Amino acid sequence: MDKSNRHESFFREVLQLKRLWPFIRTDQWVLWVALLVTPLISMLALTQPYLIKVAIDDHFSKGDFTGLSEVAWMYLGVALGSYVLSVGYALGLSWAGMRMLVRLREWLYERVLSLPLSFFDKRPAGVLLTRLTNDIDALGEVIGAGIVTIVLDILMVAGCLGAMLYLDVELTILMLMCSPILIGLIELVRRQLKNLYLTIRDSIAAVNAYLSEQIDGVEIIQLFGGEDRAEAQFDVRNLKFRNASMESNIYDSLMFALVDGLSSVFIAMLLWYGSGQMGEWLGFEGIQVQSAGLMVAFIDYLNRLLTPVRDISQKMSVIQRALAAVSKIFGLVDEQEPMNLDGVDVPPSKGHIRLSNVRFAYSEQADDVIKGIDLEIKPGQVVAIVGSSGSGKTTLTRILDRSYTGYRGSITLDGVELSTCSIPSLRKQVVAVRQDLQIFSRSLRFNVLLENPDVSIEQAQKAAELTCADGFIGRLGWDKVLRERGGDLSVGEGQLLTFARTMAIDANIVILDEATASVDSVTEAKIQQAIENIFIHKTVIVIAHRLSTIQQADIIVVLEKGRVVEQGSHGELLTLNGRYAELVEAGKAAVG
Amino acid sequence: MGALQTLFKRYLRKNLPSYLAGTACLLATNYLSVTIPGQIGAAVDVLTTPEKLSAIQPFVFNIAWMGVAVVVVRSLSRVLFFNPGRDVEYRIRRDLFANLLHLPPAFYATQNRGDIISRASSDITWVRALIGFGGLQSINLVFALSLTLWKMGSISWVLTGITLAPIIVGTVIVQGSIRSWYPMMKKNQEYLADISEHVLESLNGVTTIQGFQAGSAFIRELKLRNKTWFDNNIQLKLVQSSILPLVALAGATSVFLLLYFGGPLLENGTLTVGNIATFIALLAALVPYMRSLGWMLSTWQSGRAAADRVLELLDAEPDHPEGTNGQHLSEGVVPNIKVSGLSFAYPDDPDNNILEDISLDLPAGETLGVFGKTGSGKSTLLRVLSRMYAPKRGMITVDGIDICDLDIYGWRRKLSTVPQRPFLFSDSVKSNIALGDSDDQERLDKAVSLASLTQDLPALPDGLDTIVGERGIMLSGGQRQRVALARGLYQGGELILLDDVLSAVDHENEQRLVKALNNFHERSQPSCLIVSNRISAFRHADQIVVLDNGRVVQRGTHGQLIEEVGLYQDAYLAQKEAGNTDGTAPASSTSSQEAKNG
Repeated sequence: MDKSNRHESFFREVLQLKRLWPFIRTDQWVLWVALLVTPLISMLALTQPYLIKVAIDDHFSKGDFTGLSEVAWMYLGVALGSYVLSVGYALGLSWAGMRMLVRLREWLYERVLSLPLSFFDKRPAGVLLTRLTNDIDALGEVIGAGIVTIVLDILMVAGCLGAMLYLDVELTILMLMCSPILIGLIELVRRQLKNLYLTIRDSIAAVNAYLSEQIDGVEIIQLFGGEDRAEAQFDVRNLKFRNASMESNIYDSLMFALVDGLSSVFIAMLLWYGSGQMGEWLGFEGIQVQSAGLMVAFIDYLNRLLTPVRDISQKMSVIQRALAAVSKIFGLVDEQEPMNLDGVDVPPSKGHIRLSNVRFAYSEQADDVIKGIDLEIKPGQVVAIVGSSGSGKTTLTRILDRSYTGYRGSITLDGVELSTCSIPSLRKQVVAVRQDLQIFSRSLRFNVLLENPDVSIEQAQKAAELTCADGFIGRLGWDKVLRERGGDLSVGEGQLLTFARTMAIDANIVILDEATASVDSVTEAKIQQAIENIFIHKTVIVIAHRLSTIQQADIIVVLEKGRVVEQGSHGELLTLNGRYAELVEAGKAAVG
Repeated sequence: MGALQTLFKRYLRKNLPSYLAGTACLLATNYLSVTIPGQIGAAVDVLTTPEKLSAIQPFVFNIAWMGVAVVVVRSLSRVLFFNPGRDVEYRIRRDLFANLLHLPPAFYATQNRGDIISRASSDITWVRALIGFGGLQSINLVFALSLTLWKMGSISWVLTGITLAPIIVGTVIVQGSIRSWYPMMKKNQEYLADISEHVLESLNGVTTIQGFQAGSAFIRELKLRNKTWFDNNIQLKLVQSSILPLVALAGATSVFLLLYFGGPLLENGTLTVGNIATFIALLAALVPYMRSLGWMLSTWQSGRAAADRVLELLDAEPDHPEGTNGQHLSEGVVPNIKVSGLSFAYPDDPDNNILEDISLDLPAGETLGVFGKTGSGKSTLLRVLSRMYAPKRGMITVDGIDICDLDIYGWRRKLSTVPQRPFLFSDSVKSNIALGDSDDQERLDKAVSLASLTQDLPALPDGLDTIVGERGIMLSGGQRQRVALARGLYQGGELILLDDVLSAVDHENEQRLVKALNNFHERSQPSCLIVSNRISAFRHADQIVVLDNGRVVQRGTHGQLIEEVGLYQDAYLAQKEAGNTDGTAPASSTSSQEAKNG
């Protein structure tokens, strides 16, 4: 929420909550019932003092005890009734509120998963995670303690005001004349509090984020002697949180005490005015309230009217939290549209890809990172891309599976322009293995099949054999549940697993961003074998790190700063004795 | 002494005056709250006698000033109770963090990080709640309860007994079931954590999910976890919402008993009508207090548990065998290191020696290579040298001083370490290299260029000022490693420890780096220890040791070792054959997983 919004009226802000409506609509009857039940609960609550009055006035005072036990039983019955109603009320609102959370979370999750991949480059997973968890959880109380209570409070204030008007118009007007003082003071405090709540929320988040990051990196801090610096940095955040909390305590306490104390002052005014003494003193003819009963009732209503006002600061923190969460959640929704899934269906393809004068920039303002690439890949060919980092290798492959959209020039797959293809159908034909091994903490079966209905376990087994993954899969079993990020597989095994996943599905074009890792020679040989098998079965575009991989490629493309500088087979390029030969030499020379 | 008492003693003493003043304000508030209704009653009584209306003036005046006084004392009592809680929270958190920064890796190896963070955040919050709000409520409760009981008892002890019975029973039930909530609340937290875990994993794996169109499988799983959470939570809500209003129901039962049995007592003259009315008023006043008593008791309970957990971290001992006055080496002098008969096992697995009888010399200014397969103990050797783990005495000496006797901070200032796992903070590239040190542009440029990071800068949106995101998410794996390398080089220590980091740069730059390391330091030639399983890293080493299963199996120069049958030669031949050729960096995610075993 930016600064300009901070002074928007509370009411206008609360209206933002209407974006939650679609998620509660099916359960809206709960809200209506809750609104109807509340007066019933208050009525039952008011019946209790009445029954006591009857017991005292009609029975105890008169010494007449016949019928007293009936009154007593009635009292117990009313209490039981109000117990049942309030339990139902609380439970119903919780139920509806939780169902809203579940729906909202599922909707948002589905939406996030369908955002373009380029979106995730710029967003740390932690931030998106917060939207999907903490921010949604912050809405837990918004139905019960939020919306319904606000409505009820408004009804309560209106009802009391009505009753006061009915009892005595003049006294009510007197009270209304005094009210701007109270409202003004409360509004002043509320404004302060609102900004403070935001500061508190941000600063505690900063405290926790800093803490958790420094703990994660504690070895680095110790190795580099950064303990004192980290302590000082932490103190800045910790202190900010403490000071904001203390300041908000002051306003919070003041708000509570103001309403409490001022109500006595108002009552004093009422009594003074009502007794006619105020008029006498100020020299005007006021009313004189003769009835003590009327005055008592009036004071009672005044107190009831002020209670919701007094408790507003507590409720406000719930609402404020919810409002902040709503604006963040829907801020994410508004920021990025999901991928456009429309387009031409790509038929099963052997993979004939043609790039002509392809250019690409991350954004309209940025410089091109791909600066005019021409390339033809025939079905079944293996194309290796080499070049130093920053040369555009990865970017080029990410354009090909449409992780990045918005290329210029032309890319065709079997003659169909890539940008007109529907993404789901394209991704059935083109599949990518990226450097970061994405392994899920689920079973091996899940990790290879990804619950794809078109792939049978037999196919998966075959794929595992082709990619040399059958060894460890056989040892662990298909049902073995992996630890987080495949913690119980070695790096090499993780790589083989992702190869198996790729071979299991029907895609004929494979993009392979080969990961070089320090693996022992046995695993190295297996990876080599797996890659060779993939080469045999698919059309492959490989970002290669191994000399042996490159030698087998049909075409080697050397990229430099977004341009193709050399292109040809291993032999051709060596004879050319250019950039590629240089790279090969460096590799050999380094070993030695 | 309990943890809570210890914390109170250590942190609360300073705030005692505030509490005393708060208690005084609380007393005043309570006195006024009881007195004002009496004044109102008296004023209303005046209204019934129209001839003496002016008699209302003093009452009106009293009500008004008391109202204003309430604003002051009530605000003060809350501020005086709550703010010390905030201050204590701040100081505990500050000390806790400071201690965490000094705890050794052995400590973190046995602790779950999530648990540490929850102690530093939610457990401290519990302690604060107990100190602030809990303190206020407790004192309030004790006053109110004893006052009410005394008043009731002075009317009739029999009636007090009869009417209190349901309230006591009700409170016991509520208290008991609040205790039973905890397992459910804990489960609730676990289920929420399950959801977070799934969401995080989906976000990290989004490329695969989209690429393989596996979205529906992941959505199904989310729905499953959502449902588990919902089912447990609705149970919890059922218990919560049916238990809490039970106190009010118990209060009503008391009134029922009073009405039911009050008649006979009134008849035989033990009670007056006024007594009964007073009793009802007292009961009504009691109910909210009993309700908060339930909460109070559970706050004490969880506050105590939280205090235990906080104190455990607060008092965890850093591993400093040198004590408070460790020895300092002279600044700017390259140390001579002698390792003799070093055996080492991690504290959590003391029977499993990772290093076994290792002896080696690293004279000042020389470069030592340590070659070995994954799991041979290479990284462990580095960790012992940087004293992330302290070895036994007598195994490593630095300029003749036992490494265990060195002042730890002074020793680490002499090191430039580049660990295998490149940890980056969510700050700019520049701050990650200089680690908040005052900017020495020249040194920075040199480190950046030596680490081959220069080639990456054009691709970064703000160059060296690019914010790298959580754990460096904005950078590629290789870039992350190169930033970590630059950080180590920027430090400019006299002993450079490189843990398998040369894979971060391509071969051309690797050779440049290795050469440059040899004359990096301005004043004198630093020592250098390079750990790798890449033969190319060792060509310029003065000496190379080959580790296998924690033992030195071969030693010599590159030239000697490639002629000698053994692990080194095998690797040399294999790597010459397969030779990594191009200019890319390998992914960090892969090598980071090895960091533990290395």
